[in-house]
Order: sequence, then structure tokens, then C-alpha cells
Amino acid sequence: MRLSTLCLALGTTALAAPAMAEDLRMSWWGGDSRHAATQAGLEACGAKHGHTINPEFTGWSGHFEKLTTQIAGGTEADIMQVNWPWLSFYSSDGTGLADLNELSDIIDLSNWDDAQIDAGSMNGKLNGLPISTTGRLFVFNKTTYDKAGVPLPSSWEDLIAAGPVFKEKLGPDYYPFEAAGLDAALIVTLYGTQATGKPIIDPATSTLAWSQEELANAISMYGRLVESGAIESWPERAANGNTPLHENPEWSQGMIAGTYQWDSTYFKISDPLVEGQELVYADLLTQDGMQTPGIYRKASMVFSISANSEKKEAAAQIVNCLLNEPEGVAALGSTRGVPASMTAREQLLSADAIKPIQIEAQAKVINAEGPAIHPMMEFPSVRSAMADNLELFAYGELTAEEAAAEMALAIEEALEDVKS
Amino acid sequence: MGGDSKYLGLWYVAPYAIGLLLFTAFPFVASFYLSFTDYNLLSDPEWVGTANYEKLFTRDRTFDKSLRVTLTYVFMTVPIKLVFALFIAVVLNYRLRGINLFRTAYYVPSILGGSIAIAVLWRYIFAQGGLMNMIITSLGGEPINWFGDPDNALLTITLLRCWQFGSAMVIFLAALQSVDKSLYEAASIDGAGPWHIFRYITLPLITPVIFFNLIMQTVQAFQEFNGPYIITEGGPLKNTYLLPLYIYDEAFGNFDMGYASAIAWVLFAIIMTLTLIAFWSSKKWVYYAGDKRN
Repeated sequence: MRLSTLCLALGTTALAAPAMAEDLRMSWWGGDSRHAATQAGLEACGAKHGHTINPEFTGWSGHFEKLTTQIAGGTEADIMQVNWPWLSFYSSDGTGLADLNELSDIIDLSNWDDAQIDAGSMNGKLNGLPISTTGRLFVFNKTTYDKAGVPLPSSWEDLIAAGPVFKEKLGPDYYPFEAAGLDAALIVTLYGTQATGKPIIDPATSTLAWSQEELANAISMYGRLVESGAIESWPERAANGNTPLHENPEWSQGMIAGTYQWDSTYFKISDPLVEGQELVYADLLTQDGMQTPGIYRKASMVFSISANSEKKEAAAQIVNCLLNEPEGVAALGSTRGVPASMTAREQLLSADAIKPIQIEAQAKVINAEGPAIHPMMEFPSVRSAMADNLELFAYGELTAEEAAAEMALAIEEALEDVKS
Repeated sequence: MGGDSKYLGLWYVAPYAIGLLLFTAFPFVASFYLSFTDYNLLSDPEWVGTANYEKLFTRDRTFDKSLRVTLTYVFMTVPIKLVFALFIAVVLNYRLRGINLFRTAYYVPSILGGSIAIAVLWRYIFAQGGLMNMIITSLGGEPINWFGDPDNALLTITLLRCWQFGSAMVIFLAALQSVDKSLYEAASIDGAGPWHIFRYITLPLITPVIFFNLIMQTVQAFQEFNGPYIITEGGPLKNTYLLPLYIYDEAFGNFDMGYASAIAWVLFAIIMTLTLIAFWSSKKWVYYAGDKRN
């Protein structure tokens, strides 16, 4: 009797548990809030599907290097958070990461529209599921603008005009905007995209799409911003060393009153502000004869499954849970931005789990128009080709025309290197 | 001695020897092979002959700049650091009250100096509104743009390295204490002053240690990474872009391991050449115990 009861109990337990309980690994980068939320999500999803997931998390810095080294050695985690531009590096032909289309009986892909699925696909294979969509937006410190008595700018000329007023009303150390390093390069890119209607890298040919004149015109805008006092000069900004904006006291105290950032970084730039200051997202600045608003929009990050994983089905269950199922969605919240998954977005909106300002920013990103950006735009060699030559212009080593010529050459070389 | 104990020593050194072979010797040799390949980590290395070296020496302006900056950095850092370390060691060689406390205090920066936290602290000290500029302005001077001015940035990084003088100082101190006191007494009796005693007795007797510190500090200076990476990220205008930063960016930014290996081997060749020159010149200025030279 005892034996039969034991057998019955064991049999029942075996039937109740999932057919294949697996030990999985998942890696991601982020800050503390994302780490805590993701671990909670993994616990909830692991319990639901009967798997154990070992978390492997770091900050942003160095994650690309770590992940690439792991993939090169075949020791990457089963589930990985991957930056969207990295997909073309890891899986240019679509075989470097698992094809999630083959797991569509487990992952509900109907929560993403075709454009999002295309963004995560390489050579027709779905290598990554977009977690959220992000875009570069202008964000202004309304409190400082109000103090200066200047309305928030809606055009580049408004921004240039605000520079002298800030100096006069608030003091010489006040600036209506900031741009240095990569941010300055992206400002130049935005201005040029608006003027030409084309992205700087042609998506069809992977070559430089702008003429040197167009490039010089965009570079000149950066010079005008500095001359008008709308932004700190490059040497002034460099005087604080390699300090990111959110660690810069001039930002936290409202002395720098505007920036151009990913909307998904709202908490990073708003948290350091001294109490009583209000950030406001604005529409992209306009210029006369503008061809397009030129939004720089992309999948902010994707979840991928390792091509080498022997537990792809179990990994897919966890990915689906984190992105589509109530337990995972509630745990992750908006720590990776406003979710791209329709189900997740609706769940968080109905639970008031997303701040209104994040929703407003996301709407601006989604609704703004602009040409598709090329993933190579985010390759380090392409970025440094832009930023290095812009720095030479900023330090007066090159004229706008000379910087344009050097930049064009450097970008072409970098693109050739990447393609080869 | 029995057969087993004959090889006992080998067993003791085996863990180190295996580690050395696996994690130093093998990567060393492999990087030489990789320097002749195009290798991005994710696909197999592709043999390209001397193409990486040709690019390095004929077309790469970043390499030219980085090499110039690196040599400037080394030739500034090493003499300043050695002179300062020797000066402090001489001071700490006197019998003063609480001397052990001073010796410990001066050594502390060497323990902390290589850390990320100190590099971040350095960034704050030399920032536009940082401690250094506060001192300068309180004395009536104009604030200096330490990091943003291309002429100052490398000096600021150099000062960080020089601040970590403790290890060289401790070695100098040990050497100073090993100098035979009877030589000092004899010189004093003959009427030599402190400077002459230092110049003609102390300095010659510690030349082996000066030579050792010169080699070690030169090699370390060529490998500097943390300071410029954290403080300036190689800027402005690549004026602090030392070769190790360039190697890192090529290897882990562009994932061009072949090219990064080629740069690393050029750096190795430079260090090796300078070391050989130092060894060659040492015959003329380094004096060892029992040396028969006049």
C-alpha cells in the first residue's frame, strides 16, 4: 500500500512538472533597476515553466567585448540581450544566432509588427526579438528655460538665438543645449539628414550617401551652435575629462538645459537632476527647406537565443514569458523602455506601470518620420570616423570643408573595412 | 636523494610553469601569427602576409600619432618618476621620528594608483571646477583647462603615473640602506659635504637599482592603460591616445585582432629595443659589487 502510494505520488509529480526542466543561462547589460527586475522576471518565468535560469549581468561598458568573446568561444548564454546593431556583426548571414521563426510555436510573434520583425531579421532569419523601440529626441530642462524667459526651441534657429539670451539672463556658464563627442556627431547627422532627406549611409549600397558639400553644411551647423553660445565648445566640455552627461554637475544643476538622447535613457538623465527641475521632450528641431524630420529610430535591444544552445525550446519559453506573459512582463516593467510587444505594452499601460513622460516620448519616436538607419552607423570605426574629424573641426585644426573631406574619406574607409 | 624526490621541485613549479605556458607563452606566439592575419574573432583567421604591418607603417595616421604620444609619455614619465622616487627615498632614509609612518604613507598611492577609483578621483581633481583649479584661483591665477587643452592633457596623465612612485621609492630606500656606512664616515673625515657624498658615493653604489627601476618603469609606462582610458579616453585630439588604448580599440572595438596584434608586436619591438639599449649603456654607468673598473 505504502509502495503503491509512493509510486502514485511520484507519477503525479512527474506528470505535473514540465516534460523537460532545463538549466539555462541568460546574459544582459543594464543598471541596478534592470538587474533586479530581470532577476525577478527570471524567477517568475522559471517557476512557471519549470526551468532554472542563471543570470549573468554587467553594466554597458565592456558588454560587447564580453559577449563577442563568449560567442567566439562558443560559451555564450542560451538567452542574450543583444544591441540591435550587433546583429549584423554576430550573424550577417542569419546563422550566427538561432532563427526564432523556427520557435514560433512557442514565442507568440503576432505581438510584433512586420517592421519590428524585419528589424530583428538577418538574411530572412529572425535573430532577435525587439524588446523596445528607441529614438534620439531633444529633451529640454523647462525650469531653466523658464528662468531665462525663453520658450522651448522648435527650430535650429530658435536654439541658436537662445544662446545669447541664456548668457545675458542667467550668466556665462549657462547653455540651452549640449553636444560633444558622439552626441555632436549625431547632431551633425540629424541636421544633414533633415537637409538632404537621406541617411548618411545609403542602406542599399552601404556607402556614404552625402556629398562633401552636404557634409560640410551639416558640420557648419555645429560651428554655429558653438559660436552662438548655444553649446559649450568641445575644449570646454573636455575640461571635465571623460565625464558622461548624467555625471556632469552642470547638467544636474540645470546650467546645461538641453540634450539629444535616446528616449529609453529617460531615468538616466532625469535621476541626477537637482529637485524641482522639469524635463520636457520636444519634437525634432526644424530647418528651412527641411526634407524630413530625420528621426534616428531603431530597436533599442533584442533578445536572442544562442545558435549553439541545445535547449532552444526551453529558452524560447523563457523569452516568450519575459516579453509576452503577464508574470514576466510585470516583473520587467519598463526597465528596458516601453515594450515593443503589444501585449506587454497594453498590460503595463493598464497597470499605470509606465510614466506619462515615457509614453509621450515614445509617441514622438514612433510618429516622427525619417529614413531607415543603417546598422553600420553604430559600428565603432564609423562613429570614430565622424567624431574624430568633427573634433578636429571643433579645435580649429580643420575648416568645415576640410573636415568634410577627411570625414568622407574616413567613413568610406571604415565602411569598406566593415564590409570586407 | 630518492628517485621521487629528484623531480619534487618540478612538481612545485608545475602549476606556475603550466600557467606561464598556457596564458603567456601560447598567446605570445599566437599573437605573432595573428599579426599576419585578418581575424575578427567570429570567423577563422585569414592569412594576409605583411598587410597589417604595411598599413601600420605606410597609411595609418592614428598609429603615427599614438606612437608619438606614447614615446613622449614614456620619456616624460620615467625620468620624473625616478628622480622623484629617489628624492623621497633619500628623505625617508634619514632617522626621523615616525619615519615608518611616512614610509607607509608615501607607499599607499602605489597600491591605490592603478585602480579605476583613483583615475576617477584624478578626473575630479583636475576638472574645470576641481581641487587643482580651486587652489590656482585662490592664489590669484587663472583656471587651467587640464583635460581639454591638448598641450596639458598628457601632462595630467603623466602626473598620475608619477604620483605612483611608491614601489620605485621602496626599492631605492632598500638600496640606500645597504650602502656601507663606513664609506660615508671616511668621506666625512676627508671633508666631503652632503652633496659630494651623495654624488660620488651613494649614487654610484645604487646604480644597479637605478638600472633595475629604469627598466621596470619604462616597461610599465609603455603599458599604461587605465589612466588615459578612464580620464580622457585618449582625447583631446588623441593627445593621450597611448598605444595600449589603440590596441584595445582595434581588438575590442573594431574586432580587428590581426591588426591589434601587429600593433602589439611593434610595441613589443620598441620596448625590447629600448631595453637592449639600456643594457648596452649600463656597461658605462652601472657599477656592481666587485667591479674592477676605475
